[in-house]
Amino acid sequence: MKLSISSNVHLVEPGDFEPADHWYPRALNSNIHPLVATFLNLSHEQMVARFCRLNPRADYDTVMKLLKYQPKYFRWAGTDLMHVTNNEGLRKLTLIETNSCPSGQKSMPLLDFNFEQGGYRRLIEKTFKPMVDNHPEKGALAVIYDKNPMENVGYAATVAEVFDENVYLAQFKLEDTDPPVEFRDGKMFVRGEKEEWVEIRAAFRYVTQEPWDRLPKNPKTLLLNPIEACLAGGRNKEVASRAYDLFNKEFESKGISIFTPKTFRNVAYHELQSYYEKLGGSMVIKVPDSNAGQGVYTIVNQREMDFALSELAHDPEELFIVQELIHSNYTEGKDPADTWYHLGTIPDNKGRSFAYDLRMMMHATEEGIRPLAIYSRKSGFPLNQPLPEDMNSWEVYGTNLSIKGDDGWTYADERLILFDIRNFGLLGLGIDELIRGFIQSVMAVYAIDQNAIHTFDKKASIV
Amino acid sequence: MIKNILIVEDDVVFCKLLTRFLTKNNYTTNDAQSAKQAFELLKEHTFDLAILDYRLPDENGLSILESIKENNKVSKVILITRYGDQEVANKAIDLGADAYVSKPINPDELLEVIKNL
Repeated sequence: MKLSISSNVHLVEPGDFEPADHWYPRALNSNIHPLVATFLNLSHEQMVARFCRLNPRADYDTVMKLLKYQPKYFRWAGTDLMHVTNNEGLRKLTLIETNSCPSGQKSMPLLDFNFEQGGYRRLIEKTFKPMVDNHPEKGALAVIYDKNPMENVGYAATVAEVFDENVYLAQFKLEDTDPPVEFRDGKMFVRGEKEEWVEIRAAFRYVTQEPWDRLPKNPKTLLLNPIEACLAGGRNKEVASRAYDLFNKEFESKGISIFTPKTFRNVAYHELQSYYEKLGGSMVIKVPDSNAGQGVYTIVNQREMDFALSELAHDPEELFIVQELIHSNYTEGKDPADTWYHLGTIPDNKGRSFAYDLRMMMHATEEGIRPLAIYSRKSGFPLNQPLPEDMNSWEVYGTNLSIKGDDGWTYADERLILFDIRNFGLLGLGIDELIRGFIQSVMAVYAIDQNAIHTFDKKASIV
Repeated sequence: MIKNILIVEDDVVFCKLLTRFLTKNNYTTNDAQSAKQAFELLKEHTFDLAILDYRLPDENGLSILESIKENNKVSKVILITRYGDQEVANKAIDLGADAYVSKPINPDELLEVIKNL
């Protein structure tokens, strides 16, 4: 690798992949749980058949078409799901968020020890390469990013390996006043080693901070994912929520739906307090384009409501998403039909059970959408202990691992739960939940991709 | 003999990869992503060598170089300049830098420069 060929640009060469640089040490030394390996190797036919046994109203052909779907814009995705139950013990995986630049490779145990580039290679080989091979543009290859250097250096090294050519790795930060990446008429250029601008034919993109300010629509340079995937819901919770509603309406007769906590969109700042009261004194407020746990407020009392109102007061014109809180424990008096509870982790030897989420990363391949990486993150404070008066409820419900001052190489290690032999059992998940979670995630990808097609192509295309 | 090195560079990838490379070559490193962080480290530690990027978010590498020369916390200094930026390179040498390297940086070549200091 040629380091720092110009400011914030490195030239990555074939042979530069170093596993220790692209996995957390715990993940690097872990063994995948056999049940998870089985799940990752299931064929679409096996998954759909099982899903339809679990959901007898689901239409086999429709679910199969969804899994075989070829997204136009949203070909690499991640979802955050939570394992919930209701007063009748009905267990579900609820979709919390869909992300068009998902992290996850660095937390995923290798599926096969003989392939040391693991999911990095599967994504580049099965998704990115076929796209690039079909894209007749001239220029070099690049990886552009603004976060998560651990994975992005790994992606750049894998691209170099798979294509057998050098790859420009460029940091493209929102606040950079002289960025090393620019677009001219939709074509991307990266600053090279002699300060010249190098034409780029295709780029793997992990630019997450307000990417719509830097990436053009309909670019000449191929981007995975293009900005259309973000704008149609991959980075906007309000737009995603509308896409899910459209999906649920379209597929109601097929016995499938995207399951999310009850959601209210376009809530004005001055209406937030009345929602708090209407929802019985608990809820979640989300800023529509928030990401990585920032701009999300869990509210369980007036003190937290007041705090959220003070934080959100800077832009009284902004519209918010309000969602019903997934509760920590069963509470009598709540409407059982509408109220969901975290199942939480299996109690530890101190009796503590923690809320957790499940990150499912997937990619579009020639055979359809496939799962790629999975891990979980647990919250900091147990569900089944009283919340200390001075503690924020985010400690009970929030699962994001980012820590302040995060440079992309550090994280809250103690809350990461690998899907390995040692840890997977703590989640109480079975292969049925993984199938359900994956199919929920595929439905979300389909909904957002269709939304992008309807929005940007002005023509409909259904399964 | 150089043993411990301070790297001052706002690019976290550069810091991480160079740190790994130098550690493999038996050096100890600390890194700072800004001049402010560098000055904090220099309050507490001394270094045999500082590798300074010219372009930093708060100040430039030359101002750190000047400060280093005043307080004797670092024995040797290498400044990293942009490709072809001879003016900055000359200024660095005038201010007492022991060497400069221009981008692109080849880690093996940098290692040679360090060994020859």
